[in-house]
Amino acid sequence: MLSAAAQNPRLLLQRGGRKFNLQKCRRRRHFHHSLQAVSSFFPQSETISSPSSSSEILTIRKSLLSRERKAVEIAQNYLNRLRSTEPQIRSFLHISQNVMSEAEQIDRKIERNEELGPLAGVLIGVKDNICTVDMPSTGGSRILENYRPTFDATAVRKLRECGAIIVGKTNMDEFGMGSTTENSGFQVTANPWNAERVPGGSSGGSAAAVSARQCVASLGSDTGGSVRQPAAFCGVVGMKPTYGRVSRYGLMAYASSLDVIGCFGSSVADAAILLEAIAGHDRFDATSSKREVPEFSSQLEPAEFLDSKPLKGLRVGVISETLGDGVDSGIVSSIQAAASHLEELGCTVKEVNVPSFSLGLPAYYILASCESSSNLSRYDGIRYGNQIAAEELSSLYGACRANGFGSEVKMRILMGTYALSAGYYDAYYKCAQQVRTLVQKNLKASLTENDVLISPAAPSPAYRMGEKKNDPLAMYAGDIMTVNVNLAGIPALVVPCGFSEVGPSGLPIGLQIIGAAFDEAKLFKVGHVFERTLQRCRFVPPLVDKDV
Amino acid sequence: MAVANAALAMVGGIGVTMLQRQRNQLYSFMAKNPLGHALVRPRRDFSARSSSSLLPPDVPRLAETARIALTPDEVEEFAPKIGQIIDWFGQLQAIDLQNVDPALRADAESNNLREDFPETFDNREALLAAVPTYEKPYIKVPKVLNKD
Repeated sequence: MLSAAAQNPRLLLQRGGRKFNLQKCRRRRHFHHSLQAVSSFFPQSETISSPSSSSEILTIRKSLLSRERKAVEIAQNYLNRLRSTEPQIRSFLHISQNVMSEAEQIDRKIERNEELGPLAGVLIGVKDNICTVDMPSTGGSRILENYRPTFDATAVRKLRECGAIIVGKTNMDEFGMGSTTENSGFQVTANPWNAERVPGGSSGGSAAAVSARQCVASLGSDTGGSVRQPAAFCGVVGMKPTYGRVSRYGLMAYASSLDVIGCFGSSVADAAILLEAIAGHDRFDATSSKREVPEFSSQLEPAEFLDSKPLKGLRVGVISETLGDGVDSGIVSSIQAAASHLEELGCTVKEVNVPSFSLGLPAYYILASCESSSNLSRYDGIRYGNQIAAEELSSLYGACRANGFGSEVKMRILMGTYALSAGYYDAYYKCAQQVRTLVQKNLKASLTENDVLISPAAPSPAYRMGEKKNDPLAMYAGDIMTVNVNLAGIPALVVPCGFSEVGPSGLPIGLQIIGAAFDEAKLFKVGHVFERTLQRCRFVPPLVDKDV
Repeated sequence: MAVANAALAMVGGIGVTMLQRQRNQLYSFMAKNPLGHALVRPRRDFSARSSSSLLPPDVPRLAETARIALTPDEVEEFAPKIGQIIDWFGQLQAIDLQNVDPALRADAESNNLREDFPETFDNREALLAAVPTYEKPYIKVPKVLNKD
């Protein structure tokens, strides 16, 4: 029996007087149907967070539809774990007050046999630089302390349309500037694997929240590696889609030519489902692509249906520049083991050279500093954000920004201001853009000869807190593995592949799989098969292991 | 020199082994000592277009341009760090980029603009509620002094 809403799809999506057209509704229902088809493939799991489950999202969906569990029970389970681990981890800047009431609404819908969105009952964390209309969005900065956006980012709106419960806003390096989350204006997030280590950055809170199973999945943003590096440090899956795959409307701009919204999950399948939900053209983002979004989730085979060489014929290129001097030996051996594993799965693996590789790092930091110096000029204390009283307008700007911005942000704005000064454009910004062309060409060429490229996601496992804080260049050096992907605008997936023997429980290591533009489907395929066939590795931190 | 050779090799397609050596040097400098290039390459290697016109960063002046009121302690703390990073940026100038087009961003589809048709935002009250100093109907700001 269909509810009135299901009979008239337009009703489903009307909100506050704004009507959504049928086209969008069709896409949503299409995604819903593809998810239903996928559900029937994956094996039923008894426990909510069974480590062998290939998709937590689908497990939740099945238990809800079969009435085995209620949404309030699932939500309570996550909230309990969130609350008990938060004092040690501190991944959230804001926790929603509406989680249980939203879960109740879902239970009522189930009772009335109404259609359930594909992400109904799924708790999702959102990085605090992505606007949410009912929760503060600070971008990790004091200058936006208490700021409440007047709209939802498109990615958040899409999650909500799919029935997701936004559990809260996660901690981050201020405006995305940092690689450890230590540059947050509010708090330092700890790595769930080791409280003395960083979770990575800038999406450290989002990565830690999924790692500690405080939520099912989360959104982050990736400008120079800010989804992939924390995913590697925290032992979760991180997907950075192609530039233009996901709308940036509602993402606080850091470097507009590089920013993308990405997703974290505890499995490749979950990351795929999440990307499918948030991707697609948006008329509010002129850089968003009109390309069809493939049914990522339905293209993933369950483990027991895989034949002995499921990746036969796939050409994998190992980027040789990423396994040389300066990379931790544990990481090198882990990636080499991953390469062997891929060979066993039927891939042909060979070394490739990407000549412009190391030039990507200074080029990236020039572009990012310059673009951010322009993007952050809007934070002037006049129309929103914290204001400091002053006698005169320039002083007001100067005081608001001095008071609200942290040191790293100030430094990057100053560097960007310098590099964009009259007469300096050719020497820095234009040069960096030219290097970007070289990087794009090199990677594109490698990706015609190979289906995917692999590398570590970071040259070392998670740093100790405070280790890199006073040495910006040492901090920047850690991004060498990730920035070229942003310069080229291509997608990359990070999958946990091993452990480094550091500390009592070791620290996770992530394998980065890079693909050609808009080829996320191939990345998910490779990542999913890799993950499902990886023996002897379970990526649940000891902190939560007893619950899970 | 290492950087220039690597660049030439990149652009001119010289043999793989030489390129590999250059690149390994480049990479190991980067990874072991991020300042490597700045230290190794003396300023006189700058190409003509970029030589003497580039003054080092004047942090107080930059702060004024960027409208950030820095304390003297901050100036003292930031200036050497910014100087180091700008030096490190400078390594790109030694590369031969003569026939390379600058890329604005990743390969993008053109003509993705929507129709230029005004729409009313449906949450204007919230926009105004976010303004720190609002005296209906004005957003209040302090006086503007013209500095000459």
